[in-house]
Amino acid sequence: MSPCAGLLPLRSGTVRLAEVDPGRITSLMPGPGQAAALDRALSETHGLGWPAPGQAILSQRGGVVWTGLDQAMLMGPAPDPALARHAALTDQSDAWAVADLSGGDGPEVLARLVPVDLRPQAFAEGATARTLLGHMTASITRTGPETLRIMVFRSMARTLVHDLHAAMDAVAARRGLDAGGPPR
Amino acid sequence: MRLRCPLCGERDRREFTYKGAAVALDRPATEAWSADWDDYLHNRANPAGETRDLWQHAAGCGAWLVVTRDTVTHSIADVRLARGEGTA
Amino acid sequence: MRFSGFRVLREGLTGNRGWAPHWRDPEPKSDYDVVIVGGGGHGLATAFYLAKEHGITNVAVLEKGYLGGGNVGRNTTIVRANYFLPGNSEFYSHSLKLWEGMEEELNFNVMHSQRGLINLFHSDGQRDAFARRGNAMVNQGDDAILLDREGVRKLLPYLDFENTRFPIYGGLYHPRGGTARHDAVAWGYARGADARGVDLIQNCEVTGIDVEQGRVTGVQTTRGAIRAKKVAIVVAGRSSQVAAMAGLRLPIESHVLQAFVTEGLKPVIDHVVSFGMGHFYISQSDKGGLVFGGDLDFYASYAARGNLPMVEHVMEAGMTLMPMIGKAKVLRSWGGIMDMTPDGSPIIDRAPVAGLYLNCGWCYGGFKAVPGSGFSFAHLIATDRHHPPAARYRLDRFATGRGLMDEEGTGAQHNLH
Repeated sequence: MSPCAGLLPLRSGTVRLAEVDPGRITSLMPGPGQAAALDRALSETHGLGWPAPGQAILSQRGGVVWTGLDQAMLMGPAPDPALARHAALTDQSDAWAVADLSGGDGPEVLARLVPVDLRPQAFAEGATARTLLGHMTASITRTGPETLRIMVFRSMARTLVHDLHAAMDAVAARRGLDAGGPPR
Repeated sequence: MRLRCPLCGERDRREFTYKGAAVALDRPATEAWSADWDDYLHNRANPAGETRDLWQHAAGCGAWLVVTRDTVTHSIADVRLARGEGTA
Repeated sequence: MRFSGFRVLREGLTGNRGWAPHWRDPEPKSDYDVVIVGGGGHGLATAFYLAKEHGITNVAVLEKGYLGGGNVGRNTTIVRANYFLPGNSEFYSHSLKLWEGMEEELNFNVMHSQRGLINLFHSDGQRDAFARRGNAMVNQGDDAILLDREGVRKLLPYLDFENTRFPIYGGLYHPRGGTARHDAVAWGYARGADARGVDLIQNCEVTGIDVEQGRVTGVQTTRGAIRAKKVAIVVAGRSSQVAAMAGLRLPIESHVLQAFVTEGLKPVIDHVVSFGMGHFYISQSDKGGLVFGGDLDFYASYAARGNLPMVEHVMEAGMTLMPMIGKAKVLRSWGGIMDMTPDGSPIIDRAPVAGLYLNCGWCYGGFKAVPGSGFSFAHLIATDRHHPPAARYRLDRFATGRGLMDEEGTGAQHNLH
């Protein structure tokens, strides 16, 4: 069963919140001085690379999302064994709840919960942040012009949906739209 | 108070956890108990003014940071990664 | 000048023209037996008990600003003796007894109100811990009553008993706990010390401590040099700076602690209520304002103001405990500078310089300690022997590891208390 089963999708005002199946999630932690070699290995094996802090390298099949000092998550494919020569790999597939918040008011909704400016002019496609979402630590990535991908620990799935739902309804009310309002 | 994390940019104080004086970076060389260890563990200059202390960007990238700031005005002069600083 | 009911009546009928200032404003002399650095609650109480208990009256209290202008004039006024560990237990027990005799001793109304303090608990484990603490308090000769949920409901019906995260299981009731008018305590001791011949010298900042051949000989001040046989440092909030003048590094980090007061309301909270799991405590002042606070901001600071995240945290905890508080408007907030020691307990000891004495490290609990601290510190200065209730407040306990008093059981390390 997926982390947000029975909780999502939700729609309120102009935004939609839907669970994402991220495929495999593997944390990559390069050994000392191994980042450049890992970058090459990711490029050769997955057509990806090692991201700079605050960046995600996205592709059709998945991506590599920076998640902290010397750490990123390979999303989607199973990791090529060659990566293990340069980095510690840990399967975290079951550890995260992943959801996409889509619609133009996404940054407005998250402004109520996240102390980082997530508007497109400040947080472009491919930007990612580790930060707080309410009382939870979260990873937030802009994967499209109107799509923000949110990851929290799996055990927090219900809190994530509850907090986002309240924020979505509040923004919808400000806009004079129905909570759970018109399909787009 | 906002700190400019070298990796994440300027962030809210809520994302950071305070450790204390950056003296923690300079662990005494000897293993035997000495006045140096008492100083390292307990005694503090505790300045009213510029100080160097350790913070962790716990709700962000997880990096340990050395922050140079003023304890009277709360102004921040410098934030850098603790990695490579000190002797420890 | 003595206060009495008759005197108040007479002055009231004759236009209140007979009142005199409570203390003199003397010029500093060139020489004293004892110079006390710091005119806060602890310093003034020390001066009072030096004069009263030990007959030492050639004493000056040097204060950088005005008497009682520091932490004794800006705290949440709680008085209690509910400590657990040997060392703290007997000290605060002694201090509370001094509180109970203080108004008669000083002939001054400090509005000491023993309205009772209740520490809430929210789990079976916490109940066991509080039962144990209550037994320690009773063994010390103080009072403690373990209340169940219904017992708490009877006293504090306005709490949210149904909170899912922190259901109230009961509370440890300490009936002799309560509050006092904070600055009146400083004024009362100042008045008593002055009447016994102590010089209270305001606007006099100590800028240096004179040490010759390992022995203190006096202090330098903004009003000239003053010689002294003994110098006592009682400057919580600035202890590290003043001790540094004598070449000392103290096991102290200064942290900011915030507190809040609402607009005046009709009587609603009759006790002091402590919600430890939410880092929140509250009482109602005699003027009607709800006085409450929480935990440290948790970073070294001398700014006397805190940050908004802790404000939010305290308000959230208040709402969790008693949702009705959300209707009250906060009138003001402030931050005090706390001397934090590694184990969370204070220091009353001789410094490693002969003739120099230290009283510091009160963390966030210095107010209730004012009389006990003054009494024990005066004893140490006068006799060069530790007063038994404060004998464990040694400076060297961190270096030796012996006699650490870590009430929270988190370890003797900075930033854990």
